Amino acid sequence: MGIRFVLMVNKQGQTRLAQYYEYLNLEERRTLEGEIVRKCLARTEQQCSFVEHRNYKVVYRRYASLFFLVGVDNEENELAILEFIHLLVETMDRHFGNVCELDIMFHLEKAHFMLEEMVMNGCIVETSKSNILSPIQLMDKAS
Amino acid sequence: MGSQGGFGQSKEFLDLIKSIGEARSKAEEDRIVLREIETLKVRLNDPNTSKFKHKEYVIRLLYVEVLGHDASFGYIHAVKMTHDENLHLKRTGYLAVTLFLNEDHDLIILIVNTIQKDLKSDNYLVVCAALNAVCRLINEETIPAVLPQVVELLGHQKEAVRKKAVMALHRFYQKSPGSVSHLISHFRKRLSDNDPGVMGAALCPLFDLIMIDVNSYKDLVVSFVNILKQVAERRLPKSYDYHQMPAPFIQIKLLKILALLGNGDKKASEQMYTVVGDIMTKCHSTSNIGNAVLYECICCVSSLHPNPKLLGAAADAISKFLKSDSHNLKYLGIDALSRLIKISPEVAEQHQLAVIDCLEDPDDTLKRKTFELLYKMTKSSNVEVIVDRMIDYMIRINDNHYKTEIASRCVELAEQFAPSNQWFIQTMNKVFEHAGDLVNTKVAHNLMRLMAEGFGEADDSADSQLRSSAVESYLRIMGEPKLPSAFLQVICWVLGEYGTADGKYSASYITGKLCDVAEAHSTDDTIKAYAVTALMKIYSFEIAAGRKVDILPECLSLVEEMLASHSTDLRQRAYELQAILGLDAHAVEKILPMDSTCEDIEVDKNLSFLHGYVQQALENGAQPYIPESERVGASNISNFKSQQDHEPSTHTLRFEAYELPKPSLPPNIPPVLASSTEIVPVPELPSVADILQTAPSASDARSSELKLRLDGVQRKWGRPAYSSVTPSTSSNNTVNVQNEATQRDSAGSSNSKVRDASYDSKIQQVEVPPEKQQLAASLFGGASKSERRQSSIQKMPKSQNQAADTSHVPKAAASRPPTVKTSQPPPDLLDLSEPSITSSAPSIDPFKQLEGLLDLTQDTTSQTAGGVGGTEAPEFSLFADMSLSVQSDSAANSISNVSDRNGLGGTTIENLVKSNKGPNLKEALERDAVVRQVGVTPSGQNPNLFKDLLG
Repeated sequence: MGIRFVLMVNKQGQTRLAQYYEYLNLEERRTLEGEIVRKCLARTEQQCSFVEHRNYKVVYRRYASLFFLVGVDNEENELAILEFIHLLVETMDRHFGNVCELDIMFHLEKAHFMLEEMVMNGCIVETSKSNILSPIQLMDKAS
Repeated sequence: MGSQGGFGQSKEFLDLIKSIGEARSKAEEDRIVLREIETLKVRLNDPNTSKFKHKEYVIRLLYVEVLGHDASFGYIHAVKMTHDENLHLKRTGYLAVTLFLNEDHDLIILIVNTIQKDLKSDNYLVVCAALNAVCRLINEETIPAVLPQVVELLGHQKEAVRKKAVMALHRFYQKSPGSVSHLISHFRKRLSDNDPGVMGAALCPLFDLIMIDVNSYKDLVVSFVNILKQVAERRLPKSYDYHQMPAPFIQIKLLKILALLGNGDKKASEQMYTVVGDIMTKCHSTSNIGNAVLYECICCVSSLHPNPKLLGAAADAISKFLKSDSHNLKYLGIDALSRLIKISPEVAEQHQLAVIDCLEDPDDTLKRKTFELLYKMTKSSNVEVIVDRMIDYMIRINDNHYKTEIASRCVELAEQFAPSNQWFIQTMNKVFEHAGDLVNTKVAHNLMRLMAEGFGEADDSADSQLRSSAVESYLRIMGEPKLPSAFLQVICWVLGEYGTADGKYSASYITGKLCDVAEAHSTDDTIKAYAVTALMKIYSFEIAAGRKVDILPECLSLVEEMLASHSTDLRQRAYELQAILGLDAHAVEKILPMDSTCEDIEVDKNLSFLHGYVQQALENGAQPYIPESERVGASNISNFKSQQDHEPSTHTLRFEAYELPKPSLPPNIPPVLASSTEIVPVPELPSVADILQTAPSASDARSSELKLRLDGVQRKWGRPAYSSVTPSTSSNNTVNVQNEATQRDSAGSSNSKVRDASYDSKIQQVEVPPEKQQLAASLFGGASKSERRQSSIQKMPKSQNQAADTSHVPKAAASRPPTVKTSQPPPDLLDLSEPSITSSAPSIDPFKQLEGLLDLTQDTTSQTAGGVGGTEAPEFSLFADMSLSVQSDSAANSISNVSDRNGLGGTTIENLVKSNKGPNLKEALERDAVVRQVGVTPSGQNPNLFKDLLG
């Protein structure tokens, strides 16, 4: 099942959003996030956007102060995942208009809803921005 | 929509977010969160909170958990929110529940009902929210509760619902394939859904299904190819485009599926060539996503039945990747290369320098990927360079996870391709030294087994040479502090077996070293056990050889100390050692003959060899044996059976309480191994274990272990005693060491051949020349074993292409060189010079070949001496050794007896003594030795018993 987790972490190492597609308890998540973030923060811009960690491969991308980290298993196309991150950001951009860390913080549930539309069971299921956003827009209208 | 003050959020919420963001330390953040938890506990339980306020609190709970604190006190509020009529609240409720709970949480049961209701809703957004929750919260047991509704929703008019229903079904399939096996056809049907989103979703379950069972989906090849073609031709809605690529994520998924379907299937592959080729030409290599698709195409091409045109395109793409400045692309290039070299190994040649660059890059990710590539392209000609590199890297990193992985790869490669014994031993030493505690214990056992069985098939001298070189290197290493336990175990075992075998080292020297080890690791019982058994072997070899044994004072004190050890295992070993020291040469020689680790042990469980003795005793008026079950007032001590039948009786000591020895040991692993994994209170008796292996199953053997002993007695007295033992085991069972041994992977046999042949090619090249070119040559140059490379003068670039041409020779052929040694030069021999002249080129000058044919040995030896300088020239010693050790070996054989001498000897004696109750220990032992092949009585778990007997 391709994607194992999606994390958004700021450069202080605080987790801003976490979505796991396999169950890890709180303690396991904490250690995993700590280790991975430390690894990714230590890397330079020129280095690969991929890091091996235990049995995960972590694909990460930095947008200003926010890191997007996606844990995948071995058979995943790393570069495609890197672009998937960008697609997610573009989608959020379209919704929030020039998205920033605080947008995600204040609309955590919406960020999650988008992710829910895009990834199910650890697979990328939807990549059309309009399809991803339409249920969220409809919901906004209704309430 | 602005970022700040999105609607519905209170100032409090904004402040919380800000203060967390501004927290200077983890401690400060924790303080804020803990305060927040207290606030939320109060607020959530306040009945007057409005619904929207409630939503905010639940989201604040999410933050609490994301930051690593337990928010379980509020889970129930999230569950409650899923009941809400308001869609936004309901979806937030579902979201929170999926983030908080796993599918086995107790609260899930409260939600199943809500989900069922929502799946029936008229509002498709509600249905979608429920389906999202289904994917996260339904476990195997609750699948039936929602399955019918989910199936119904597969035909829903809204594509969003159909899509999510497909994924819900996919989830059920992941959780419990059996529960949806009758619904698989729905996935196929959804593949032709009008909506591309639904089709794209259906690819996910189909990919999983095809992965498991390719053949049932071959009929879909046409459909997949068609879909891919349409996607590539931009038939999908524009909204799926990403950076000018038409639906790249769907393309990638389809390419993955095609790779599975076309693997090893020429017919299916042929249907795919056109579309894959089209996509490869269409990919914009300027964008990331274009390269991602391109990379996926290469993966696909390397999985399909080979097509020259596509392979060419793939090779071009790879070189573009490797030449790129982007590390990401280089990474993909290396990965793609490692896939492609399986089909066209010559591709690697063009990129040697790029690969070396990646290998030397400070970027760990890239480096590791490159090691993976090297691992895949290792062959006998470049194994030394590659493994040396790997070990260097292994030593430098701290990441234990990866260290373990790379260590086991080194071991694997070394076992498979080792060009010489010395190199093999040195490599294993390095691996053990630096990662000994990380590698599987099996590796250590394998090494010992390899050492005992030898590599060569008919070449004893090679084996003994291997052993001597091992002994030598171990003696050098063992003084170093902080050697891993597994390594020391191997060292002790090898020193015990072969320490004095070649006569180079005296017994007192070896035993002194062993005592040092035991002393230095006084807390590690396993090492001590290995050491004391090794001591026992050395002394018995000495005794058997008729030499006077001077036991070192430190050895005496060691034994003294072990006699009082808390570990019964150590105690037993110490007693055994003592017992053996008291015996004469004849007896000892029978107990522990030289070099017979691999001899078969034949076991006669009936103890028929004792018939005469018993008969005699009976005639002399001894009482006949009465099976315990028939005895009145059976003594407590021997009452195993009754104890097993009844609950542990209150008034007796429980003798069976100890865990029984594990019966499933590989028989030819020395006894110490048994206890190396677990130090059980019961002294391990591997002989017991070995014998027990003949019982049908391990558990069987365990349960009947205690009875087995009595079973041995059964027929002796001619009475049916214990029915528990399967009759079949009483027949002469041979624990066939050889059979077990050959279980080693098939590679083993070819290995040994490789090694066998490579004895001739003794040239070693350890140092990697600084120049990349040279490194490249050593990595890539030797394309195949059978190449002749005598021309050390030629420079490499000239001949590179030629090397590439010849590199097609299949590896299998390469690794099985002819073993003829005299008349025809083995191709190996010629190969050998190659690593030594790393700078030299792999070339195929026919004249040079001829030269090589003519004077192979002289040539190579002189080269070794001249060219390699630093490394030993083992050639001479090898040949010298051959004649010598053949002699000594045959001598050893003649005295060696078919017997178990893995240090079990002692045990067996005592067993026998016990069962005999004979007055003369030595006599009994000798008799034992004579009939050893036929009978061994496993018994005697209490060393004290023997103490009395042995005095």
